[in-house]
Amino acid sequence: MKDKNPLSPHIQIYSWHISSLVSISHRIAGIVNILIITLICCWIAYLLLGNNNYEIIFNFFGTYLGKFLIVGSVWSFSFQALSEIRHLFWDLGFGFEIKTSNITGILVIFGSFILTIFFILIKNSLL
Amino acid sequence: MINATKKWLFLKISSAIFVPLKLWFLFNLVSIYDKSYNEVLSFFISQPTKFLFSLFIIFAYFYSALSISEVFEDYIQNEKLKNVANKSLFLFAIIIPILVLIILYKLSL
Repeated sequence: MKDKNPLSPHIQIYSWHISSLVSISHRIAGIVNILIITLICCWIAYLLLGNNNYEIIFNFFGTYLGKFLIVGSVWSFSFQALSEIRHLFWDLGFGFEIKTSNITGILVIFGSFILTIFFILIKNSLL
Repeated sequence: MINATKKWLFLKISSAIFVPLKLWFLFNLVSIYDKSYNEVLSFFISQPTKFLFSLFIIFAYFYSALSISEVFEDYIQNEKLKNVANKSLFLFAIIIPILVLIILYKLSL
Protein backbone atom coordinates (compact mmCIF):
# COMPACT_ATOMS: atom_id res chain seq x y z
CA MET A 1 0.00 0.00 0.00
CA LYS A 2 3.05 2.22 0.37
CA ASP A 3 2.84 5.23 -1.97
CA LYS A 4 -0.34 3.78 -3.53
CA ASN A 5 -2.76 6.22 -1.93
CA PRO A 6 -5.01 7.60 -4.68
CA LEU A 7 -4.60 11.36 -5.04
CA SER A 8 -6.99 14.09 -6.04
CA PRO A 9 -6.63 15.14 -9.67
CA HIS A 10 -4.11 17.95 -9.96
CA ILE A 11 -5.50 21.36 -10.77
CA GLN A 12 -4.02 21.55 -14.28
CA ILE A 13 -6.27 18.73 -15.56
CA TYR A 14 -9.53 20.29 -14.32
CA SER A 15 -11.88 21.83 -16.81
CA TRP A 16 -12.39 25.20 -15.16
CA HIS A 17 -15.84 26.10 -13.94
CA ILE A 18 -17.16 28.14 -11.05
CA SER A 19 -17.26 25.28 -8.50
CA SER A 20 -13.66 24.22 -9.11
CA LEU A 21 -12.52 27.84 -9.03
CA VAL A 22 -14.20 28.43 -5.64
CA SER A 23 -13.05 25.06 -4.27
CA ILE A 24 -9.38 25.58 -5.19
CA SER A 25 -9.47 29.22 -4.06
CA HIS A 26 -11.01 28.08 -0.75
CA ARG A 27 -8.05 25.80 -0.11
CA ILE A 28 -5.50 28.44 -1.14
CA ALA A 29 -7.28 31.07 1.01
CA GLY A 30 -7.21 28.65 3.96
CA ILE A 31 -3.43 28.29 3.73
CA VAL A 32 -2.91 32.04 3.13
CA ASN A 33 -5.19 32.88 6.07
CA ILE A 34 -3.27 30.78 8.56
CA LEU A 35 -0.08 32.52 7.40
CA ILE A 36 -1.82 35.89 7.93
CA ILE A 37 -2.99 34.80 11.41
CA THR A 38 0.59 33.79 12.22
CA LEU A 39 1.69 37.30 11.16
CA ILE A 40 -1.03 38.73 13.42
CA CYS A 41 0.41 36.62 16.28
CA CYS A 42 3.84 38.17 15.53
CA TRP A 43 2.16 41.60 15.63
CA ILE A 44 0.75 40.79 19.11
CA ALA A 45 4.18 39.53 20.22
CA TYR A 46 5.73 42.79 19.00
CA LEU A 47 3.56 44.63 21.54
CA LEU A 48 5.73 43.05 24.26
CA LEU A 49 8.68 45.15 23.05
CA GLY A 50 6.97 48.35 24.19
CA ASN A 51 5.82 51.66 22.81
CA ASN A 52 9.17 52.82 21.38
CA ASN A 53 9.67 49.74 19.21
CA TYR A 54 6.05 49.78 17.98
CA GLU A 55 6.77 52.76 15.72
CA ILE A 56 8.07 50.40 12.99
CA ILE A 57 4.72 48.54 12.90
CA PHE A 58 2.73 51.79 13.12
CA ASN A 59 4.67 53.29 10.18
CA PHE A 60 4.37 50.05 8.15
CA PHE A 61 0.57 50.04 8.44
CA GLY A 62 0.59 53.62 7.16
CA THR A 63 2.30 52.61 3.89
CA TYR A 64 0.48 51.45 0.74
CA LEU A 65 1.96 47.96 1.25
CA GLY A 66 0.61 47.85 4.82
CA LYS A 67 -2.85 48.96 3.71
CA PHE A 68 -2.78 46.51 0.78
CA LEU A 69 -1.92 43.72 3.22
CA ILE A 70 -4.89 44.64 5.43
CA VAL A 71 -7.35 44.92 2.52
CA GLY A 72 -5.99 41.66 1.04
CA SER A 73 -6.36 39.94 4.41
CA VAL A 74 -9.94 41.20 4.78
CA TRP A 75 -10.79 39.86 1.31
CA SER A 76 -9.11 36.52 1.95
CA PHE A 77 -10.88 36.05 5.31
CA SER A 78 -14.22 37.17 3.83
CA PHE A 79 -13.87 34.75 0.93
CA GLN A 80 -13.06 31.83 3.22
CA ALA A 81 -15.90 32.71 5.62
CA LEU A 82 -18.51 32.85 2.82
CA SER A 83 -17.15 29.70 1.18
CA GLU A 84 -17.27 27.93 4.55
CA ILE A 85 -20.93 28.98 5.00
CA ARG A 86 -21.57 27.45 1.53
CA HIS A 87 -19.91 24.22 2.70
CA LEU A 88 -22.00 24.20 5.90
CA PHE A 89 -25.19 24.47 3.81
CA TRP A 90 -23.99 21.55 1.69
CA ASP A 91 -23.41 19.57 4.90
CA LEU A 92 -27.01 20.24 5.87
CA GLY A 93 -28.10 18.87 2.50
CA PHE A 94 -28.87 22.13 0.65
CA GLY A 95 -27.50 23.54 -2.61
CA PHE A 96 -26.17 20.43 -4.36
CA GLU A 97 -27.96 21.07 -7.66
CA ILE A 98 -25.51 22.26 -10.35
CA LYS A 99 -27.44 25.48 -10.98
CA THR A 100 -27.66 26.32 -7.25
CA SER A 101 -24.02 25.37 -6.75
CA ASN A 102 -22.96 27.72 -9.58
CA ILE A 103 -25.09 30.55 -8.19
CA THR A 104 -23.71 30.14 -4.63
CA GLY A 105 -20.17 29.97 -6.08
CA ILE A 106 -20.73 33.32 -7.82
CA LEU A 107 -22.27 34.69 -4.62
CA VAL A 108 -19.16 33.66 -2.67
CA ILE A 109 -16.85 35.43 -5.14
CA PHE A 110 -18.86 38.66 -5.43
CA GLY A 111 -19.91 38.52 -1.76
CA SER A 112 -16.29 38.47 -0.65
CA PHE A 113 -15.62 41.71 -2.54
CA ILE A 114 -18.82 43.29 -1.20
CA LEU A 115 -17.94 42.23 2.36
CA THR A 116 -14.43 43.68 1.95
CA ILE A 117 -15.89 47.01 0.76
CA PHE A 118 -18.37 46.88 3.66
CA PHE A 119 -15.55 46.46 6.21
CA ILE A 120 -13.53 49.29 4.60
CA LEU A 121 -16.62 51.54 4.69
CA ILE A 122 -17.10 50.70 8.37
CA LYS A 123 -13.47 51.70 8.95
CA ASN A 124 -13.98 55.01 7.12
CA SER A 125 -17.23 55.74 8.96
CA LEU A 126 -15.43 55.24 12.29
CA LEU A 127 -12.78 57.88 11.45
CA MET B 1 -17.47 6.27 15.25
CA ILE B 2 -14.48 5.95 12.91
CA ASN B 3 -11.62 8.47 13.02
CA ALA B 4 -12.46 10.02 9.64
CA THR B 5 -16.03 10.75 10.84
CA LYS B 6 -14.72 12.27 14.09
CA LYS B 7 -12.30 14.44 12.10
CA TRP B 8 -15.10 15.59 9.78
CA LEU B 9 -17.35 16.42 12.77
CA PHE B 10 -14.56 18.38 14.50
CA LEU B 11 -13.87 20.21 11.23
CA LYS B 12 -17.53 21.21 10.82
CA ILE B 13 -18.07 22.20 14.46
CA SER B 14 -14.87 24.27 14.50
CA SER B 15 -15.89 25.84 11.18
CA ALA B 16 -19.32 26.84 12.54
CA ILE B 17 -17.63 28.48 15.55
CA PHE B 18 -14.75 29.99 13.57
CA VAL B 19 -16.87 31.82 10.93
CA PRO B 20 -18.54 34.30 13.37
CA LEU B 21 -15.24 34.75 15.25
CA LYS B 22 -13.55 35.55 11.93
CA LEU B 23 -16.16 38.18 11.05
CA TRP B 24 -15.85 39.67 14.57
CA PHE B 25 -12.07 39.84 14.19
CA LEU B 26 -12.27 41.40 10.70
CA PHE B 27 -14.57 44.11 12.00
CA ASN B 28 -12.04 44.93 14.74
CA LEU B 29 -8.93 44.48 12.58
CA VAL B 30 -9.94 47.26 10.18
CA SER B 31 -10.68 49.49 13.17
CA ILE B 32 -7.41 49.07 15.08
CA TYR B 33 -4.56 48.19 12.70
CA ASP B 34 -3.40 51.80 12.26
CA LYS B 35 -3.98 52.93 15.85
CA SER B 36 -1.29 53.89 18.34
CA TYR B 37 0.53 51.42 20.59
CA ASN B 38 -1.65 52.23 23.62
CA GLU B 39 -4.90 51.85 21.69
CA VAL B 40 -3.84 48.52 20.16
CA LEU B 41 -2.58 47.27 23.52
CA SER B 42 -5.75 48.26 25.36
CA PHE B 43 -7.81 46.55 22.64
CA PHE B 44 -6.04 43.21 23.09
CA ILE B 45 -5.96 43.22 26.89
CA SER B 46 -9.51 44.42 27.55
CA GLN B 47 -12.42 42.05 28.01
CA PRO B 48 -14.30 40.57 26.17
CA THR B 49 -11.75 41.15 23.39
CA LYS B 50 -9.03 39.11 25.10
CA PHE B 51 -11.37 36.14 25.56
CA LEU B 52 -12.79 36.34 22.02
CA PHE B 53 -9.35 36.83 20.45
CA SER B 54 -8.02 33.80 22.38
CA LEU B 55 -10.93 31.75 21.07
CA PHE B 56 -10.31 33.11 17.56
CA ILE B 57 -6.66 31.99 17.65
CA ILE B 58 -7.43 28.56 19.15
CA PHE B 59 -10.17 27.81 16.61
CA ALA B 60 -8.17 29.31 13.72
CA TYR B 61 -5.28 26.91 14.28
CA PHE B 62 -7.51 23.95 15.15
CA TYR B 63 -9.68 24.43 12.05
CA SER B 64 -6.68 25.15 9.80
CA ALA B 65 -4.75 22.11 11.01
CA LEU B 66 -7.73 19.86 10.23
CA SER B 67 -8.42 21.42 6.84
CA ILE B 68 -4.77 21.62 5.72
CA SER B 69 -4.28 17.97 6.72
CA GLU B 70 -7.06 17.20 4.19
CA VAL B 71 -4.99 18.98 1.53
CA PHE B 72 -1.98 16.84 2.53
CA GLU B 73 -4.20 13.75 2.30
CA ASP B 74 -5.26 14.72 -1.23
CA TYR B 75 -1.92 15.75 -2.65
CA ILE B 76 0.91 13.94 -0.80
CA GLN B 77 1.30 10.32 -1.84
CA ASN B 78 4.36 9.35 0.22
CA GLU B 79 3.08 8.11 3.61
CA LYS B 80 6.25 9.06 5.51
CA LEU B 81 6.28 12.57 4.11
CA LYS B 82 2.56 12.92 4.82
CA ASN B 83 3.03 11.83 8.45
CA VAL B 84 5.87 14.29 8.96
CA ALA B 85 3.83 17.09 7.37
CA ASN B 86 0.77 16.26 9.52
CA LYS B 87 2.76 15.99 12.76
CA SER B 88 4.56 19.29 12.06
CA LEU B 89 1.23 20.93 11.27
CA PHE B 90 -0.44 19.72 14.49
CA LEU B 91 2.62 20.69 16.58
CA PHE B 92 2.52 24.16 15.01
CA ALA B 93 -1.24 24.37 15.70
CA ILE B 94 -0.67 23.60 19.39
CA ILE B 95 2.45 25.71 20.03
CA ILE B 96 1.36 28.99 18.40
CA PRO B 97 -1.98 29.36 20.29
CA ILE B 98 -0.23 28.52 23.60
CA LEU B 99 2.41 31.18 22.87
CA VAL B 100 -0.30 33.71 22.01
CA LEU B 101 -2.17 32.96 25.25
CA ILE B 102 1.07 33.47 27.20
CA ILE B 103 1.75 36.74 25.34
CA LEU B 104 -1.79 38.01 26.06
CA TYR B 105 -1.34 37.10 29.73
CA LYS B 106 2.04 38.92 29.84
CA LEU B 107 0.58 41.97 28.11
CA SER B 108 -2.18 42.12 30.72
CA LEU B 109 0.32 42.28 33.64
